[in-house]
Amino acid sequence: MTATTRAIHLGRQEKPKRGSLLLLIPGIASVVLLGVLPLFIVARNSFAVADDYGGITDGLTLENYAKLLDPVYSKTLLFSLGLGLLNTVVCLVIGYLTSYYIVSRPTNRQGFLLLLVIIPFWTDFLVRTFAWITILGSGGPIAGILGIFGIAGFSVIPSNLAVVLGLLYSFLPTAIFPIYASMRSIDPSLKEAATDLGASWWGVHRRVILPLSSPGILGAALLTFIPTMGVFVIPVLLGGGKDPLVGNLIVTLYTEFRNQPMGAAVSMVLLVLMLASMALVGLALKRSSTKRTTTKKTEA
Amino acid sequence: MKKLIVASVGVVAALALSSCSGTGGDAGPSTELNVYAWADEIPQTVFDAFTEETGIAVNVDNFDSNETMISKLAAGNSGYDIVEPSQYAVQQLVGQELLEPLDKSKIEGIDNLAPKFADPSYDPGLQYSVPWVWGTTGLLYNATCTGGEEITSWTSLFDPKWKGKINMLDNMLAAYIAGLQVNGYGADSTDEAEIAKATESLIEQKPLLSGYNSTNYGELVASGDVCISEAWGGTSTAKIVEQNPDVHYVLPEEGGSLWVDGLSIAKGAPHQDAAYEFINFLLRPEIAAMATNDGGLASANAAAQEHVTDQGLLSNAAVYASDEQVANADFIVDPGKAMRFYQDGWTRVKAS
Repeated sequence: MTATTRAIHLGRQEKPKRGSLLLLIPGIASVVLLGVLPLFIVARNSFAVADDYGGITDGLTLENYAKLLDPVYSKTLLFSLGLGLLNTVVCLVIGYLTSYYIVSRPTNRQGFLLLLVIIPFWTDFLVRTFAWITILGSGGPIAGILGIFGIAGFSVIPSNLAVVLGLLYSFLPTAIFPIYASMRSIDPSLKEAATDLGASWWGVHRRVILPLSSPGILGAALLTFIPTMGVFVIPVLLGGGKDPLVGNLIVTLYTEFRNQPMGAAVSMVLLVLMLASMALVGLALKRSSTKRTTTKKTEA
Repeated sequence: MKKLIVASVGVVAALALSSCSGTGGDAGPSTELNVYAWADEIPQTVFDAFTEETGIAVNVDNFDSNETMISKLAAGNSGYDIVEPSQYAVQQLVGQELLEPLDKSKIEGIDNLAPKFADPSYDPGLQYSVPWVWGTTGLLYNATCTGGEEITSWTSLFDPKWKGKINMLDNMLAAYIAGLQVNGYGADSTDEAEIAKATESLIEQKPLLSGYNSTNYGELVASGDVCISEAWGGTSTAKIVEQNPDVHYVLPEEGGSLWVDGLSIAKGAPHQDAAYEFINFLLRPEIAAMATNDGGLASANAAAQEHVTDQGLLSNAAVYASDEQVANADFIVDPGKAMRFYQDGWTRVKAS
């Protein structure tokens, strides 16, 4: 009896499995062909030797990585890490407050507010950056308002402040959405209960909403931090190109310097940094969820 | 579901087949030509006129840097017939054996070229390329911004007087033109000590800069955000000079530099007969003039000048710099092994 049910059970399971595997082939093939394979080529190239014309010779060397220890490169890397962290923190704070605002609106209004966040996404990244040049430049509205108060000839561009503003603007939506998603699933009565029990605004956030939305916040942190490191248009157009980010470094190495192996090595370092930060976030999530289940158990 | 799989396999197979059949080695005269050129340097009107006269369909792809173009050709099987490398890129492509040597017996009208392009240093005897358009690297400045002061030398780019109002092109070789010439060296130097000295100058210059920008520097000068900028001559610069009487383009007294983009035939080009036909077509004076009339660039073709409709462009330094102005200008050539000195230096400049 049990054997037959198991057989039936197995048979049922196997059939859709084979079918779905076949259906998955185009997907897997394109991921392998367009994602995994190029990645392996980049990884291989990072150990290769460049010839004079930007080609790759077959050699095997660690020199490309050793050269990255030069303070010239580590300075760019540290600057990018710093700027990436700064952008992430600012995006998270503003993203958290925005998400909280949206979540506390009536449900039928939330869709519209989210739409307002998405709309700029439909415009090309470069066009949006050029829009910021107009806004922050000497002929723009900010300079105009300052001019009324007698501060003439003021331009935010080029400066690192403009870079931070541009980055914040570009990555804010990617911070808002994951935080919003996890906040929406928080039962509003929890907040009411906390307020009833005398928690202040700050207390409600610190002890109830912030811990419960932490998966979204950590996800948002990843989604902002990682791409910020690879940005290369904003530092040039808004920052005057004097302080390059890792993204600029990679572009320069690949094109102007015709040094694919070193470009590949920098890319690999960036990739490892990304994987490490993802692992850290994963670990943090795991710890917070086990902590929650254990506290629940002790409470029970 | 099975149908779906069969259908998807069918689609993939059809795609694979169609992509293979594109460049067959057909025997008769070619009916198409694949061109890989700088964006906007060969006007669409030229392609249209060529197709109308010969019936050969032209497929055009564009690139925005020599490096992109070279890496695409180096990857092999590009299928391109005509490519349009800049002078130093010709050297690199020849070095990598990615160009066909030109059969001069098949080329007509090469005498129409201006004397300064007849036997250039980057391609002696024009064995691999036929110059098409050319331009200069010089200085763009806003006279209102400088208080009426005329800018004539690279030294202004290094002058603390203009602190925060100077822009440099965000391009290694371009930046070193100024860095080398301001020290009295040639822009095509391969000497380690000279390049090191130029690097020092560029590092000292950095705090004075508004920024490195090779994208919208023209607008920055026109608006006065930047007073003086290193600049590439050409369409966009010429437009800004024409529209704004305060903005001037000059070649510095130290020389500045010349660039030339020419026509070459890619190694293994599938439609070589059509490629020669295209080169001959572009060597005709009235066709070459279209580079100026429709593209706003200086033609390397001397006989074309009388066909230029806006004769004012012939005296606009941002388009046709005069022979006296370019007398001291250097061709930027491939630095070869010295590339390393430039790269190390430029990395230090950027990270300083």
